[in-house]
Amino acid sequence: MKNRRKDTLISYAWSGPSLILIALMVVFPILYTAYISLTNMNVYHWFDFTIIGLDNYFRALFVFDSGFLSALLATTLWTVVNMIFQLVIAFTLVSLLNVRKVKLRRLYKTLLMFPWAMPGYVSILLWKTGMFNTQFGLLNQWMEKLGHEAVRWLSSDVSAFLCCTVVNLWLALPFMIMIMDGAMQSIDRSYFESAVLDGATWLERTRYITIPAITPIIAPAVIITVFTTFKQFDVVYLLTQQAGAKTGSGFHTILTYAYENAFITNNYGYSSAISMIIFILLLVFSARYQMREEGDR
Amino acid sequence: MMKKRIREGIGLTALNIFFIVLCFVTLIPILYAVSVSLNGQNSLLSSDFSFIPHDFTLRNYKEVLFGENILTWFQNTVFLAVVTVFLSLLFAVPAAYCFSRRRFPGRKMILKCLVLLNSFPAILSMFAIYRLLRPMGLINHRVGLILVYTGTMAVFSLWNTKGYFDTIPTEIEEAARMDGASDIQVVWKIVLPLAKPSIITTALQVLIYVWNEYIYATTFMTGESKYTLAAGLNSLQATEMTGSWPVFAAASITVSIPVLIIFFLCQKYMTSGLTAGGVKG
Repeated sequence: MKNRRKDTLISYAWSGPSLILIALMVVFPILYTAYISLTNMNVYHWFDFTIIGLDNYFRALFVFDSGFLSALLATTLWTVVNMIFQLVIAFTLVSLLNVRKVKLRRLYKTLLMFPWAMPGYVSILLWKTGMFNTQFGLLNQWMEKLGHEAVRWLSSDVSAFLCCTVVNLWLALPFMIMIMDGAMQSIDRSYFESAVLDGATWLERTRYITIPAITPIIAPAVIITVFTTFKQFDVVYLLTQQAGAKTGSGFHTILTYAYENAFITNNYGYSSAISMIIFILLLVFSARYQMREEGDR
Repeated sequence: MMKKRIREGIGLTALNIFFIVLCFVTLIPILYAVSVSLNGQNSLLSSDFSFIPHDFTLRNYKEVLFGENILTWFQNTVFLAVVTVFLSLLFAVPAAYCFSRRRFPGRKMILKCLVLLNSFPAILSMFAIYRLLRPMGLINHRVGLILVYTGTMAVFSLWNTKGYFDTIPTEIEEAARMDGASDIQVVWKIVLPLAKPSIITTALQVLIYVWNEYIYATTFMTGESKYTLAAGLNSLQATEMTGSWPVFAAASITVSIPVLIIFFLCQKYMTSGLTAGGVKG
């Protein structure tokens, strides 16, 4: 009995530093955010804030003008659009890469990995200045050559959404291509050979062999990507919402919306309530998809 | 037969052309930056732009390396990255080994909580962390950033190494124990060498995270001498009003090169870690 207690103590001693760090930098912020979400802390009530109950939550969820619901809607649309494009494009490219006799496939794959290898924020800023900038952006130089007027790509909601989608796809596709390519390489060639002998067309082979075979392999990576897309901040923030350099687009993901309410308009109580709602949403999703696989490892 | 071969040949050529064009289109933003950074004339607004610089020069790079604070930023970033990676591993490896090998009350619950904690986006903790670090005087201090980075990556590091430890069979360790090795010897001499791939993956992920993190670095640090590369590059940004696009392009390329080298040298580890670990940082 005494031995067991000593064992437990040793275990906690070894994992202690890590757990304390997590408690301090991960758990504490969540609890503190939960507390602040119940208060009216903002610029005017920086020290003398009081507890106001669930008002912030009410404002986020039931007052449509507050912008949270529309940001949530936009984020959902953003996730769906991005995932569909990612899966379709990655699947098409990987299918083409796996046509036999494409001798340079390794070279193509390496070149296509570049957007992933580059530091993310550098790429986004390069897109912002190099491509979308109204003055020296490449897109506007081309527009001019074609005799059109310069376009402010990032200033309206819809075009900002599209530009962000393009950049996000550019950043995220290499990972998806890599995962799908790995999955496709793992399919036994003999399935295809016998299918060809039976006279199956390319479409039938894709429908009945490729897709069922790769689905279980790519599923975890796809789920992770859904989460990272839903939680996307960098692309939208750096392209359109940077403090001091806003482009005037109203497109927000929930994370940029929470960030703006905390650090631009300094509505800490409200922003904390949004953070908690986002946390709960993500918890529900990840409880559904991740716990089952990872919880009991 | 002949006809079929010709058709195949045409198809293959078309496919190769498609991929060459695709690779080129994909790389346009990077190629454009490279070309602008090497271009001597300030003819950016003229429409006779090409991907091969007209007037080759390294002037912009010279300005980046000597005119700006980039060397200081580089030192800051390397310092932060090295310390963070070291601390992350120092904290994560013993904990991961415990969670993988030992059974103790609370273990399952903690593991489940860790998965759930991961769904709180790190960026949303910023305000709370600010309130936590401020009374300690750690805002605008390197130690503060190190704490933030190590903390943010702690769950990932723990989970990633633990996942790999789980795959190492315990028989080897038991054999070593029979031969009289102590716990520490077992971990140091047997488990760690076997777990090298996952440790490298974890270290790389932490390193790249620190290298690429800009939002904490810009919010918590003031004064250009304390910036990291990411924060510094942010401040060099060229807008319609300020900044020089060629210099910014040169700085971007300079900052990216170390990451590109690390990425392509360690591609094997990069990819295996993300898929096998299951939790992305």
